[in-house]
Amino acid sequence: MNVGVAHSEVNPNTRVMNSRGIWLAYLIFVSLLHLVLLSIPFLSVPLVWTLTNVIHNLVMYLFLHTVKGTPFETPDQGKARLLTHWEQMDYGVQFTSSRKFLTISPIILYLLASFYTKYDATHFLINTGSLLSVLLPKLPQFHGVRIFGINKY
Amino acid sequence: MVQIFRFMPNTRTNVFCACATSDAMTLAPADAGQQQDGVRATVGVSGDGASLLRGILILWIIRLLFSKTYKLQDSSDLTEKEIEEIIEEWQPEPLVPRMSKEKPAPSYNIVSGPPCHKITVNGKQCINFASFNFLGLLDNDRVKNQALQSLRKYGVGTCGPRGFYGTFDVHLELEDRLAKFMRTEEAIIYSYGFATIASAIPAYSKRGDIVFVDEAACFSIQKGLQASRSHIKYFRHNDMEDLERILKQQELEDQKNPRKARVTRRFIVVEGLYMNTGAICPLPELVKLKYKYKVRIFLEESLSFGVLGQHGRGVTEHFGVNIDDIDLISANMENSLASVGGFCCGRSFVIDHQVFALLAQKAISDYVLIVILSQGYCFSASLPPMLASAAIEALNIMEEDQGLKVVGESISPAFHLQLEQSSGSRESDVRILNRIVEYCMDRKIALTQAHYLEKEEKFLPPPSIRVVVTVEQTEEELEMAANLIKEAAQNILQ
Repeated sequence: MNVGVAHSEVNPNTRVMNSRGIWLAYLIFVSLLHLVLLSIPFLSVPLVWTLTNVIHNLVMYLFLHTVKGTPFETPDQGKARLLTHWEQMDYGVQFTSSRKFLTISPIILYLLASFYTKYDATHFLINTGSLLSVLLPKLPQFHGVRIFGINKY
Repeated sequence: MVQIFRFMPNTRTNVFCACATSDAMTLAPADAGQQQDGVRATVGVSGDGASLLRGILILWIIRLLFSKTYKLQDSSDLTEKEIEEIIEEWQPEPLVPRMSKEKPAPSYNIVSGPPCHKITVNGKQCINFASFNFLGLLDNDRVKNQALQSLRKYGVGTCGPRGFYGTFDVHLELEDRLAKFMRTEEAIIYSYGFATIASAIPAYSKRGDIVFVDEAACFSIQKGLQASRSHIKYFRHNDMEDLERILKQQELEDQKNPRKARVTRRFIVVEGLYMNTGAICPLPELVKLKYKYKVRIFLEESLSFGVLGQHGRGVTEHFGVNIDDIDLISANMENSLASVGGFCCGRSFVIDHQVFALLAQKAISDYVLIVILSQGYCFSASLPPMLASAAIEALNIMEEDQGLKVVGESISPAFHLQLEQSSGSRESDVRILNRIVEYCMDRKIALTQAHYLEKEEKFLPPPSIRVVVTVEQTEEELEMAANLIKEAAQNILQ
């Protein structure tokens, strides 16, 4: 389902990450973020990479695993009201191509960041923590799980 | 992309070993001088743990890349052959179920002609005690003429929902008139009376919301509740204590789980005049409960619209409750207004909810605008303009019942008849009342206006006819006088 197309999709959120061009747009956004951070003069390269990694993971966590429901009304009387976007993707089917793409890209970003920070200890800790925060919710075992009731309602 | 490992035959070829050495060495690939045995390995400062982690991550990537990718469509576990078998075995059920011998097929009483006061059923002429024609507007000539004019102008149907060229000026006019009549901010029209409340309830109440509804609610309310997929809690018919009991229960549960309570919407659905039992709901107590427990009230006024209240505005006027206290009033136009369809009226932000289909803010509290689609409004053809014009004319007839109003207690021997709506100035009012008095005097009933020294009175009462009843008047004389005054008012004021 692409932008501007008439559709009978009950919840368009499920198909957003399958739309035409969205993966490319995502990659372009990440590179743009990285370029903007690189152009700040007083930041060193390792710091920029860590910042890219951390900001990317933060934003991804926010959009995919924090915000729940849909910004529009759906005809199914609010079935997805308590589900995050990750849980809504493809109606909960695991290991689809978008889910794999969105799992692999933070890992690749992490590996790049760990290379460019020359495996420094502090950077490693920050990057690893950030990566785990964004990888764990993506596991199929964590579908619908809310630890300590955070973000439940 | 950095090379994680490259191993030569004379080195140990274990994947993990290639990524780890026991010494903690920082090697950047640019440091070409640190090559050992031709092995170029990158090592983390934290040593084994970090490289282990990186190894696991790379394995995870490889696993994801090479494992089966699921798509949304393949959810079937059956093979082609099994699917074919199932299709072969399938026998369709009969379109018409077999009728049992005990319950014969339903037979209808056939009405010929309009179901007005005298109705012809199965060939027999009877007095109609069955149709909901409360105001007798079904066979009214003015309504029929207006409908015929509209039929000539617009044709019969609209061939489209409200969003697709199905909105005519008569629809907007009827909505405007209904909103003005009910004294609310806005109103919207539905094309089928049963579907009005059945679409309005699921437009606001979704999964996870709670609706408190009377046990004797009519079938359309029940279907609306079923479609809304909310939690339904019934209270005994017209029993406000039972309602308070379950509201208290809900409050206790809310206190146990306040985060859940903040996202749960609560509604009470009641009817003004219950179709199933003929009882009137106790609206003032309901409004008190509404403010005490923070629930929204949806009032279904199909039978009470045009019937209760001094001007026919329904049960809110009957009890003197402020119309803004009721969040949504929904009514059928098929009873008193003798048309087809229904309407909902309420404050603007409540009604807009049923109309717009665009992005909007989600409800964050009970009193914030929600914007949504009411499916009965948006996905169904609009009301035929002929019926909308008929409804407007019926509303005109209801509104213009301007006559005299009785001021005074019913046991008082002297009371006043004032004009319901003043004609502008005191002199013209006095003149109109004078004409009524003369009309009655010509027919042998002596009435008088209440005269005042206008300049001397501190608080001048409005002009009125003062009627006095004494012990000397007989029953028949009283009847005659009442009829004559009514006739005079009808002739002179209409």
